[in-house]
Amino acid sequence: MRVFGSQELFEDVVSHDLCIGCGACVNLCPYYKSYKGKTARIFPCDISKGRCYAYCPKAEVDLDELTKEIWNRPYDGSPLGNYRQILASRAGKKMQKGLFQAGGTVSALVTFALKNSMIDGATLTGREELTPVPHLVTDWQDAAKYASSKFMAAPTLAAVNGAVAKGYNRLGVVATPCQATAVAQMRLNPLADKDFADPVALTIGLFCNWSLGTRQLTELISQKLDIAGIAGMYIPPPPAGIMILETADGRVEIPLSEIKPLIPSTCFICPDMTSEFSDVSVGMLEGRRGWNTLIIRSEKGADLVENADRKGYLETEELPQKTVAHLSRAAGEKKARALRILIRRDLVNNGEGRRSAVRIPPQIVKKILNQS
Amino acid sequence: MSHLIDGKPGSRHLLMGNEAIARGALEAGVKVAAGYPGTPSSEIIENLASVSADRNLYVEWSVNEKVAMEVTAAASFAGLRSLCVMKQNGVNVASDFLLHLAGSGTRGGIVIVPCDDPGALSSANEGESRHFARLVEIPLLEPGDFQEAKDIIKWAFELSEEVRNPVMVRSVTRLSHASGNVTFGDLPIPDATAYFKHDGPPLDPMQGVMLSYPVAIKHQRQQQKLQQAIKRFEQSPFNTYSGPQDPGLLVIASSACYLYCKEAIHLLGVNKRVGLLKLGTTWPLPARLIERHLTGCEKILVVEEVLPFLEEEVKILAAELARKIGIKTFYGKKDGSLPMVGELNPDLVVAALSNILGVNYEAVPEIYAGRAAELARAAAPVRDLTFCPGCPHRASFWSIHSALQLDNRQGFVCGDIGCYSLAMLPSGYSTLKTLHSMGSGTGLASGFGKLDRYGMAQPAVAVSGDSTFFHAVLPALVNAVHNNSNFLLVVLDNSGTAMTGFQSHPGLPTDAAGNMAPGIDIPTVCEAIGAKVVVCDPFDLQQTQQTMLRLLEDKDSVSVLVLKQICALSPEKKAKKTYEMKVEQTICLGENCGCNRLCTRVFKCPGLNWDKDKRVSRIDEVICAGCGVCASICPAGAITKQEVS
Repeated sequence: MRVFGSQELFEDVVSHDLCIGCGACVNLCPYYKSYKGKTARIFPCDISKGRCYAYCPKAEVDLDELTKEIWNRPYDGSPLGNYRQILASRAGKKMQKGLFQAGGTVSALVTFALKNSMIDGATLTGREELTPVPHLVTDWQDAAKYASSKFMAAPTLAAVNGAVAKGYNRLGVVATPCQATAVAQMRLNPLADKDFADPVALTIGLFCNWSLGTRQLTELISQKLDIAGIAGMYIPPPPAGIMILETADGRVEIPLSEIKPLIPSTCFICPDMTSEFSDVSVGMLEGRRGWNTLIIRSEKGADLVENADRKGYLETEELPQKTVAHLSRAAGEKKARALRILIRRDLVNNGEGRRSAVRIPPQIVKKILNQS
Repeated sequence: MSHLIDGKPGSRHLLMGNEAIARGALEAGVKVAAGYPGTPSSEIIENLASVSADRNLYVEWSVNEKVAMEVTAAASFAGLRSLCVMKQNGVNVASDFLLHLAGSGTRGGIVIVPCDDPGALSSANEGESRHFARLVEIPLLEPGDFQEAKDIIKWAFELSEEVRNPVMVRSVTRLSHASGNVTFGDLPIPDATAYFKHDGPPLDPMQGVMLSYPVAIKHQRQQQKLQQAIKRFEQSPFNTYSGPQDPGLLVIASSACYLYCKEAIHLLGVNKRVGLLKLGTTWPLPARLIERHLTGCEKILVVEEVLPFLEEEVKILAAELARKIGIKTFYGKKDGSLPMVGELNPDLVVAALSNILGVNYEAVPEIYAGRAAELARAAAPVRDLTFCPGCPHRASFWSIHSALQLDNRQGFVCGDIGCYSLAMLPSGYSTLKTLHSMGSGTGLASGFGKLDRYGMAQPAVAVSGDSTFFHAVLPALVNAVHNNSNFLLVVLDNSGTAMTGFQSHPGLPTDAAGNMAPGIDIPTVCEAIGAKVVVCDPFDLQQTQQTMLRLLEDKDSVSVLVLKQICALSPEKKAKKTYEMKVEQTICLGENCGCNRLCTRVFKCPGLNWDKDKRVSRIDEVICAGCGVCASICPAGAITKQEVS
């Protein structure tokens, strides 16, 4: 991994509008801070190598090196990344019903992991009005409070850095693909710190096609209703083509055609749909309300799912092969789309001392482009 | 009792140029003096204020220069002698009234003293007041040394009463702020009666109404008076000549440049070849005097600061006289013999003279100069211009900068004039993105706040000091509220006109002479205008930043945030520390912290030092003012504060 400093992070990511605001660089130093969904550099810093740059999922991400470290094999560009099994899942009978947007799998797994001390804290994302706000949750009974997607880029990893500074060393992180990539980089000890200990015990990845800019979405929605009154928000699977906001006075529907222009351009360079660097990844299950798609990737993830299932926190079922193929096709298309944009914007595999957002072995680049 | 009125007539005193000017006004029997503080002019009003009780004077710090001019004009209309003082750009502010005053004429002698700042040592410009004398057609005088600075004032009052118009006496930094010997004259008995006669024949200058109307008649009368002034100038003791009868080169100089020329001629040993004509009356020029001197020479060098004002006037005369005196060769600003920006000094005059005369002169050998410069670079530490330790502005700009960065919409601050202008530099986190005249930060923000219809989404912020607020921000704020602009005005209220030396202003409960006076409350004024007002303590960084962030969100009104904290140097503070500060050496990790020396590299308070040996930060107990702010910025919590009992 090529590691640079705060100044390069500002040049490569902030100035090029590649920052998604994940919070990976926040709470490490006095210079990068998060406010209303955006990461800001308060003052310049001239340290030549920093964790800020090393953790950033949009700066010099070496997918091959990362895959080798996390999965012990080279990066092959396969649409869904490394996995053992793909299942349908939903919260089990031990979890309270009716709280969840989809199947409640994430809440169930976090609750179970906290209750069984597999993790000493979980970083989850809540909402203050419309703005996503990270929280460190240590009581298993609080985990379900942060259920449901926020659809907005969130500085969740700021809470991870904050928790690490406080001494947490078995954290559970619920992460979007960009965040999961950052977490994977955090776990590599990129600055070769001799006191380093991997602080993350569990990464639960989320499926993500794109997110929305918090400020832009707030602006749009506040023209339509009082933001303070929003109780819930969700996007039903295609072909609905709407975002639904639930308020005390009923539902407000916003066409996705109004929503999609609010996607930050940096989402279009993301080659990961399913959070490939997680222990398990969770997404909606299209065509079956109340269920999730669950990708089990690591041994740890497999144990967690098995135990949670056995103890009644999770319920799983086989997933039809057709559904897996459909998911894989969508993920492959996102990869190829992102790569084309990365190439067009000179953000991949730059040589001659020029920095890149992502590095992918050239033969894999070809393979991904040919797959779709 | 002040040394200004202590000495007997005929006694010699070492006086600063500004003190000499004040003494001159006292000897002239001035009754009313008004001005607005501004370097290098402030000591004139201060000195007069300090003797105002003894000499029965009325002296005020006016809200701005235009009002100061009006206050002094009222005294003149009522038959009293009055003095109006300001820095160079103050004349710009006063000029609208001055133009009309020159048209209406005056009664009691009225002298306007602008102190120019060539080289902008303490200014955001090196504008010149001299052009205003020509522009509004009033006589202009320029004293050439300290004695003249005193004597010319009395002469100016007499001239003013003769031509029934204001007279401008222009000083410069090196005259106002340097000191020299001055012999005192008599002080008149301080008595006078003020009465404004206005019911005589309308056009009677001493009994009628004071109007510039009818313009044609009044304007013509004004120009006739100038011819009278020229007659006096031809005989003026302030125009002097030294040198041979018919010099090869005639140097014409005014003001402090006269002394530079004397020194340069002496250094080069060319006093047999060079004549020096020092002019104290520089507009309108005394034509016959100039003609006499031009006749006997071929080459003329004009030495003045900053623009070629005198040079142009002399060239016009020479053109008019060409048939009589022949064609001359001119040197000065236009041909590049002397620079047209910055201050002059004897070295620059030496260089110009030696070029024209073909004399070789090297004050310092080149090799020596090079080595001295090299040594200075290596041995003298680089020191930024910075805020004082404990300065509230450092805390304020820390918060303003941080809030704008967090807000992340490329917002910016329109600066204004005061100590806080330093925030254009790294010591103020380079926060100011515009800096112009008094009050213009708010005027600019008022304009920026209307550009949303053209897609401008950047929040605009203006800053203003408390004195500046009254001087020129008020109309801009009224404009902004009335026109539905949208921006945040931050008033940096440090309870005084701090930059120029704690002169009073309308927001304070004392006047120029130190008497009780009603102070006008800035938040109340802003609320009355219709702005949303919040008051914060800038030393509370968190609350200030949160308040700013909230106010920046406001999309449809003008908000005012008053950051109130007394200046660290304020006489009222008596250098008392609120906190004893300490860097806990066990907690400060120095270079291993990852903070990249936030306190010494970025925050930059002179009270914090970087210990080069231990590689950690420490408090310099002598310099630290004990404000406590740095305790809130250290990410490791290594800086602690303990209240001083």
